[in-house]
Amino acid sequence: MTTPVLEARGIVKRFGALTALDGVSFDLRAGEVHALCGENGAGKSTLIKLLAGVHPHGSYEGEILIDGRLAAFGSTRDAERAGIAIIHQELALFPEMSVGENLFLGALPRRRGRIDWDRVYAQAAATLADCGMALDPATRVGDLGVGHQQLIEIARAVARRPRVLVLDEPTAALAQHETGTLLALVRRLRDSGVACVFISHKLDEVFAVADRITVLRDGTAQGTLEAAATDAGEIIRRMVGRRIEDYYPRRQVEPGRPLLAVHGLTVAPPRAGGVQLQEVSLEARAGEVLGIGGLMGSGRSELLMHLLGLWGARRAGTVRLDGEDLVARSPREALARGLALVTEDRKRYGLIPEQGVAFNVSLSSLPALRRAALIDRNEEVRRVQAIVDDLRIKARDLEQAAGTLSGGNQQKVVLGKVLLTKPKVLLLDEPTRGIDVGAKLEVYELINRLTAAGQAIVLVSSELGELIGMADRIVMLCEGRVGGVFSRGEATQERLLAAAMGRLGRGRVRHGA
Amino acid sequence: MNRIATRELSMVIALVAIWAFFAWQEPVFLSSRNLSLLSVELAVTAVLALGMLVVLLPGQIDLSAGSGVGLAGAVAAVLVFWHGVPAPFALLLAAVGAVLVWSAMGALIAIERIPAFIMTLGGLLVFRGLHWLVIENQTVPVVEGGSENAYSLLTTYYLPPVAGYVLAGLTVATMAASTLNARARRRSYGFAVDDGELTFLKLFLLAQLVFLAVIVTNGYRGVPIALVILGFVAVLVYQLITHTPFGRYLYAVGGNEEAATVSGVPVRPTIIGAYALMGGIVALTGFMQTAYSGASTSTVGSLMELDAVAACVIGGTSLRGGRGSVLGVLFGALIMASLLNGMTLMAVSPEAKYIARGTVLALAVWLDLRMGQGGR
Repeated sequence: MTTPVLEARGIVKRFGALTALDGVSFDLRAGEVHALCGENGAGKSTLIKLLAGVHPHGSYEGEILIDGRLAAFGSTRDAERAGIAIIHQELALFPEMSVGENLFLGALPRRRGRIDWDRVYAQAAATLADCGMALDPATRVGDLGVGHQQLIEIARAVARRPRVLVLDEPTAALAQHETGTLLALVRRLRDSGVACVFISHKLDEVFAVADRITVLRDGTAQGTLEAAATDAGEIIRRMVGRRIEDYYPRRQVEPGRPLLAVHGLTVAPPRAGGVQLQEVSLEARAGEVLGIGGLMGSGRSELLMHLLGLWGARRAGTVRLDGEDLVARSPREALARGLALVTEDRKRYGLIPEQGVAFNVSLSSLPALRRAALIDRNEEVRRVQAIVDDLRIKARDLEQAAGTLSGGNQQKVVLGKVLLTKPKVLLLDEPTRGIDVGAKLEVYELINRLTAAGQAIVLVSSELGELIGMADRIVMLCEGRVGGVFSRGEATQERLLAAAMGRLGRGRVRHGA
Repeated sequence: MNRIATRELSMVIALVAIWAFFAWQEPVFLSSRNLSLLSVELAVTAVLALGMLVVLLPGQIDLSAGSGVGLAGAVAAVLVFWHGVPAPFALLLAAVGAVLVWSAMGALIAIERIPAFIMTLGGLLVFRGLHWLVIENQTVPVVEGGSENAYSLLTTYYLPPVAGYVLAGLTVATMAASTLNARARRRSYGFAVDDGELTFLKLFLLAQLVFLAVIVTNGYRGVPIALVILGFVAVLVYQLITHTPFGRYLYAVGGNEEAATVSGVPVRPTIIGAYALMGGIVALTGFMQTAYSGASTSTVGSLMELDAVAACVIGGTSLRGGRGSVLGVLFGALIMASLLNGMTLMAVSPEAKYIARGTVLALAVWLDLRMGQGGR
């Protein structure tokens, strides 16, 4: 057996009293994709940071070996020099610069002290070709879709000819067909001999691309498995330490009166060229989960944003909330009427990161907490504490800055804020994106409880499995129109996808096994 | 938590160091007379800085504040001295005008999306021009020589010693009552309350500070009314930004405007409200500063906006919004006012004063950043 490109032996990493990694060993061979699975807080990111030199040698116990030789990274530069490239979940590109500039920023080829632009673009074109992307290197990155940007991010790492490529949740922001392209690129890199570490919460992607899978739980390795010889159930069991019999625990209730009724909605985009909603009709009844799916650019998020008064000018159609017309000009009006939104981008639209849990949870309910002119602090703390207990938000105390919580807990804070307003209809846009399996299950259970209490939920998701598993009815949008409506029994991945692509479907869309 | 504590501690140390230096160089610095003057100067700087805090919290800025101070004082002085309008009425008129003008600037910033920096930079120039136009480049006293009115009294009236002690007693009693009340309410909700001894110590320390201030100022002419005005403004702004929805909205808009919008925060009214409040505070500061000079001249208010921003930043306010406290700003204003007062006593040249002020500002921000990193 050949020496692994990268090996970690018996790594122990402590932060004060907390042990983040407790004797983890891990090895990576050239030409393989090795997936790391685990819930948030299991130690994946800590392990990555060790490999990247963020936590320098000496701040942990155990050894990291490169080609069998001890590596002592003092900084991220050392790790880069050793050929380790990390692609983080959040994009770190400069939208105002060209693709070429982004690829070589920090190492732009020069001639006589000036940047040699011809060489920049020639090399960029070569790198893009290596990655199987047909793209003009002079394109402004900001003009590309998020999917292409993620690929550029990878191409930037590839341009440095890394031996080890670490991809941390690279598909979190991507639609299903974009994910397919990205996974193809990962396979391509693997076949060219690059050793890849692949981190994803989406197990279907893991199985689509990984050769081996290592599961982490609570800072310990739960075994390394050959992907071909195991299945999702086994991985989940090791991740959570228990078998999850029902991944999607939807409990249906008898639906009541329609709480949200959209009829013939036609909305023009604020800027020319955007998606236009055309004659969209749908209905969510009390106790029901209405799923909305569609590819990127199908108008899913735009529809929700329009309902909240954040997007577009209405040309035709009506929106009725619990029987009364609603034309919200701002989220404030919509909230006052009982329509609340949890957006897909919780960092951007969800949290005030510097402020505490209590501040964030009560932010949408302050007028109701007022006694005379002032906020009743005690009542505020009492209600927030009830939400924190109910949703099991893990925070040191109510003043802990929301931005310092883990992803799942941040999402729960956003949910808590919305729940405190006691909405009749709750719009959830990708509520489980980027959070771990345990937190996902808690969100699903919450959906069950809310519908059992007579609320209507609109669930927007790009994961077809989630729609099929959790929604009572599914509306697929396609280029701003309704492409198909499915009841719980009728929905299959193939049917949903066909509806999402409409008659205008251009070829087959890849997606994971 | 620890980081904030180090920060507060270092501010106290900086203040003590500044005071010790001036006391060593000019022993008269610590005289009752000078401390009384310092308290009036502090009041003027701090009131404007508190207004600036309200504008900085939602991530905005007001560079026109200094010019506005000059203009508001000038309008009131011209109304009183040239047109014979009764002082209280003239002050009210000028204040209402300022609130309207600042609301309009706020609306242009919030609704038309003109960057606050540019909008108020324009305001700085326009108000300076209007100021000079209004006083016709002359010196306009706030009152006929030898007499006094509601305008001139703003910085020349001192509470009689007995009234000072009564006020101090009332202040301490109010603090004690509200603390005990809050404790009782927390108990009734079943929350943990501070250790009784600690609560008492905090109160005792505050009470001592209040009485010390009264004793010192009584050593000269009594508690300056300007200091009482500062007290009222500080309590008002504190209540506003920490205990009302409007205050939370200020922090929310500054912390993450997009998230605030989605959360149903009325972003535009919040920003306009912050500027409207700033307008009122600019007018009040204008009256105090002009009264302190005795007359409206072309230099009144000049560069005061920068002292106000400096006081905020030294006090830990973030220029990007979302962070800042009343106590910090008061401390920052005290540091700025002490520096200016001490340098004047030492007869430092105006050139050197500018350099010192600028250096302190840059130093404060640098130290804040350094400590911020260390704490993380």
